[in-house]
Amino acid sequence: MQAQLLRRTLPSLVLGLLFLSTPAMGICLDKYQELFGQLQKQTDIMQCTSLLLDPYIKSQGLDKDGLKEHCRERPGAFPSKDALQRLSKREFLRTLHTMLGSILHRLTALQRDVPKAQDLETLNRAKQNIRGFRNNIHCMARLLPDSSETTEPTPAVPATSPSPTPTSDTFQRRLEGCRFLHGYHRFMHSVGQVFQEWGESPSRRRRHSPHGGLRKGVRRLQLSRRNKRLPPRGQLPR
Amino acid sequence: MALFSVLQTTFLLASLSLRTYQTEVWSEPLPWAPESLKVSINSTRQCLHLQWSVHNLAYHQELKMVFQIEISRIKTSNVIWVEDYSTTVKWNQVLHWSWESKLPLECAKHFLRMRSAVDDAKTPEQRFWSNWSSWEEVDVQNSLGHEPLFVFPKDKLVEEGSNVTICYVSRSQQNNISCYLEGVRMQGEQLGPNVSMFNLNHVAFIRETGTNIYCKVDQGDVIKGVVLFVSKVLEEPKDFSCETQDLTTLNCTWDPGRDTGLLKQLSQSYTLFESFSGKKILCKHKSWCSWQVAPESQETYNFTLTAENNLRKRSVYLLFNLTHRVHPKAPFNVLFKNVSATNATMTWKVHTIGNYYTLLCQVDLYGEGKVTQHNISVRVDGEHLFGGLEPDTQYMAQVRCANANRFWKWSEWTCQNFTTAEAAPSEAPDVWRNVKSAQGDCVVTLFWKPLLKLQANGKILFYNIVIENLDRSSISKLLSIPAPANGTEVILDQCLYQIHVTANNSVGTSPASVIIVSGDPGNTEVEEERVKGTEDGFSLSWKPQPRNVTGYIVDWCDHPRDPLCDLQWKNLGPNTTSTVVSSGAFRPGVRYNFRIYGISTERVPYLLEKKTGYSQELAPSDNPQVVMSNLTSHSFTLSWKDYSTESQPSFIQGYHVYLKSKAGQCHSGWEKAVLSDDAVCCKYKIDNPKQKTFVVENLQPESFYEFLVTPYTSVGEGPHGAFTKVTTPDEYSPILIRIILPMVFCILLITIICYLKSQWMKEKCYPDIPDPYKSSVLSLIKSKENPRLTIMNIKDCVPDSIEVLNKQEGTRKSLTETESTKPTYLYLLPTETSYSGPEPCICFENFTYNQAASDSASCGHVPVPPKAPPSQLGLLTSPENLLKSLEKNYMNSLGEIPAGETSLNYVSQLASPMSGDKSSLPTNPPEPALCSEYKMQMAIPLGLASAPSSGSSSFSSITLLDEGEHYH
Repeated sequence: MQAQLLRRTLPSLVLGLLFLSTPAMGICLDKYQELFGQLQKQTDIMQCTSLLLDPYIKSQGLDKDGLKEHCRERPGAFPSKDALQRLSKREFLRTLHTMLGSILHRLTALQRDVPKAQDLETLNRAKQNIRGFRNNIHCMARLLPDSSETTEPTPAVPATSPSPTPTSDTFQRRLEGCRFLHGYHRFMHSVGQVFQEWGESPSRRRRHSPHGGLRKGVRRLQLSRRNKRLPPRGQLPR
Repeated sequence: MALFSVLQTTFLLASLSLRTYQTEVWSEPLPWAPESLKVSINSTRQCLHLQWSVHNLAYHQELKMVFQIEISRIKTSNVIWVEDYSTTVKWNQVLHWSWESKLPLECAKHFLRMRSAVDDAKTPEQRFWSNWSSWEEVDVQNSLGHEPLFVFPKDKLVEEGSNVTICYVSRSQQNNISCYLEGVRMQGEQLGPNVSMFNLNHVAFIRETGTNIYCKVDQGDVIKGVVLFVSKVLEEPKDFSCETQDLTTLNCTWDPGRDTGLLKQLSQSYTLFESFSGKKILCKHKSWCSWQVAPESQETYNFTLTAENNLRKRSVYLLFNLTHRVHPKAPFNVLFKNVSATNATMTWKVHTIGNYYTLLCQVDLYGEGKVTQHNISVRVDGEHLFGGLEPDTQYMAQVRCANANRFWKWSEWTCQNFTTAEAAPSEAPDVWRNVKSAQGDCVVTLFWKPLLKLQANGKILFYNIVIENLDRSSISKLLSIPAPANGTEVILDQCLYQIHVTANNSVGTSPASVIIVSGDPGNTEVEEERVKGTEDGFSLSWKPQPRNVTGYIVDWCDHPRDPLCDLQWKNLGPNTTSTVVSSGAFRPGVRYNFRIYGISTERVPYLLEKKTGYSQELAPSDNPQVVMSNLTSHSFTLSWKDYSTESQPSFIQGYHVYLKSKAGQCHSGWEKAVLSDDAVCCKYKIDNPKQKTFVVENLQPESFYEFLVTPYTSVGEGPHGAFTKVTTPDEYSPILIRIILPMVFCILLITIICYLKSQWMKEKCYPDIPDPYKSSVLSLIKSKENPRLTIMNIKDCVPDSIEVLNKQEGTRKSLTETESTKPTYLYLLPTETSYSGPEPCICFENFTYNQAASDSASCGHVPVPPKAPPSQLGLLTSPENLLKSLEKNYMNSLGEIPAGETSLNYVSQLASPMSGDKSSLPTNPPEPALCSEYKMQMAIPLGLASAPSSGSSSFSSITLLDEGEHYH
């Protein structure tokens, strides 16, 4: 029990420490590399299912054969990895920012079905972390070169909200919550992979960014090989 | 007949008329039949809700009616429920009735109809049922939608242990559907072609978030389910109570009992209703609620506490008078003033309750392990004086208050500590002494026990010791010993002293403890008695003293084996003649010595008795180190004088001497004993512990014995450790030694004497040279040959030196070639001073240094040639003759004597060859040659062996062979 609590608390603490170096909204860190590194670390943590999905499944009694199989991301609820990879940097960040806003709303709705104070606190911490992550995304977008990307059309990502139509059926809400959390973690995993690609190959960045590469400050970003991270524990299947 | 027909017709008409009337009455609808029936459902509660009205009621008319309601399921003929619902119907009233279906309403059609009857005493003639209303159909399935599968009931809330029916509705009959309860498949009952139901009996609480029940289409991704919220049974609130602290707010508390285990939104709520005022509040907390008291308006309250959730409602009641439920707040501002050594005043304040309330306050005082309690009436401020306190003592005072008029509850305690002031020590220290004599002085070690806290009345800072010489009372000495010392040593002369000891704290001095120390240490010889201790201590008793004593003192050492033995003492009254000395320091196997002193009226202690004993005797752990002595063939002596009986773990009563022998027989005084290893030996018991020597007698010579000496006590003897081995000598060896030793000594003495007197012995026993004139040879020469020839008298020939001529040959020759070898000659030459000119010199061939002989002995040394027989000596006066004669004899002897026979009568030939230089002879003593060994030995007649030359002799030694003495 303590181990589980630690598993839940530790990532949040790490995230909190990471956000310590990120100022509140409106005051951004102007070091691209540092900010980028933070985003990667935050993504690593947020994609970990032990943060939200696993406790939710356990508290809602969905950890039974026949139910677990249905706790899968609803297709189209979150942008796929391919869709994210096709986006330019600016599009990507904008999409991410938008999605995180929707996720925050969905998490708030999910709190209503969480009876235990401990789980409620877990959700609250997760929401705080997402807010911090959004701030970092916002700051990251500001560091991107002011190119014609800003006039790009709306990215071709699903416009649907991650939350389906609200239902009064508790069982269905329970399943939907589980599917949403599954999708959320998968989405953050995809985001992490995109971030990793950003750091790996400038040419790849250019390929995915048809409207020109980053400025030299951005191009300096080279994530060394030794910093390549292994898939985190509790990672969802792709 | 006609009349009969008329009457019959009339009767028939009348009957018909009556029948018609009756038919009309029965068939006419009841004027108060239910109308406007409306049926609705509550899916959450699975209830059918029916509402209707009764028309034709007059204004303000009230009528008691009975409504019979019939419910059918699936088809109208399948009636599953009939109920009579009685109620009073008013004008224009809409009536309601609900029925909860066990089967979810969504899973089957339901039909409902009703009829009514008047059940009112005012209209007894109307007790007829109305007609049934038409069937009202309830079919929810039509409004479910188009999803392939539905499971009901949704989010049902039940109590633990209830029976629940679950059902599903499938849109396709071909689907094979399985349903599960928390992952466990359920077996259902087919209700229709696409409807099944599952009965769950005695459902259990699984988790707060409810039990998951779901159904899946086997080959598809469709899953539908419901959450069944199972609640634990709501309990009645316990210990419901209300009280006030200030007469303005009532605080009501209760024990809600066990949790129902439901989500917060489904859990129970608590409401508090007061019947006199009609006020009702919803409590925000599960276990307490605050009620605002209306000022000066209400004294009695009747509360109803109701716990309610969706399934159950529980209520408890409480009626009380407000003034009887006053629970004051804890007093505050507790202070102490005028704190002295024995008194202190405590003050405190209380919270006011109304204007005319008096509080009863309880004050407790804790100190020195005691509690004192006082009750004080208080209106606003309280005050209490504590008296009879102990100086320098910390006390804890606490106060609480209650309503003095009508006790309900004490307030909480308010505590405060205080410490009284110090006072002068109240008791004299308990003093004792130990007196020793040293170099004419009296060394007095004073001991005193620390004062008890109650006696010290503060922190003892130092002890004052006044030593007063009673003989010369003007002389006194003051010593100040700082605390926490508990003793000191003073050296006194042999005079009589009085010692005063006082303890001092910051306030004053204690009474003095006086002890007299006389010059006489008082160690009179008192017989020591043994006492037997127990776990509780030593019980000591002594004879009452005929003379006046002011008391007795028993002293002892807690640790007698330590140099600082930790002297302890015990004061006893003058009428006491026994006591039990106990100490936590007493250990088994340690001897404790007790001295009992009587204290005279002059305060002089004198030793009365000595006691010694063990709290528990233990068997000896060590055996004495035994020394064996005086070993003879029949006895030996054992001694263990170093063995200390005082330091043993018990009183030594004697010793056992064990003796093992091969014979195995025990002599008188010994007894057979079997050791722990089953060895049999003899045991001798020594009853006197002071006897530390023992003679083992009656032993056999040249026999092997083993012995062991072990002490024995009342609790056993020492360990049977290793035996010491001893073998007795034989019987005659001592006699022989007594004879041989003197003999050897005598022989040695004689030898030394002989050695010292060897010259004398030689002169006496061995004359050096025989007188040639006494020889027969001389007479023979004189008679037959040249008269001029004479034998040289050695006395006449004074040789000064011997020259040895030795000519080395070029090559070594064999013995057969000795003829061509020049012999070595010994020339006797006169010394320069005595040499008289041309007198012929006498020379001898030195055969000892003959090279040929040397060679024959296979060694490079010169062998001694065979000596010429004395018969030939006369011819040797001429060198040539002598040479020839010698050569001839020599050759003969060599040729005749086998080499192996030259082994008799040898003369040592260790001498090395000498140089032929005569001058070198005396100066060069023979040196050992490389092959320094015994050479061929020349046969020498025993009687003519040359005597060693002495230092006083002036002659060279010459060896002559006697006639007839030949080699063999």
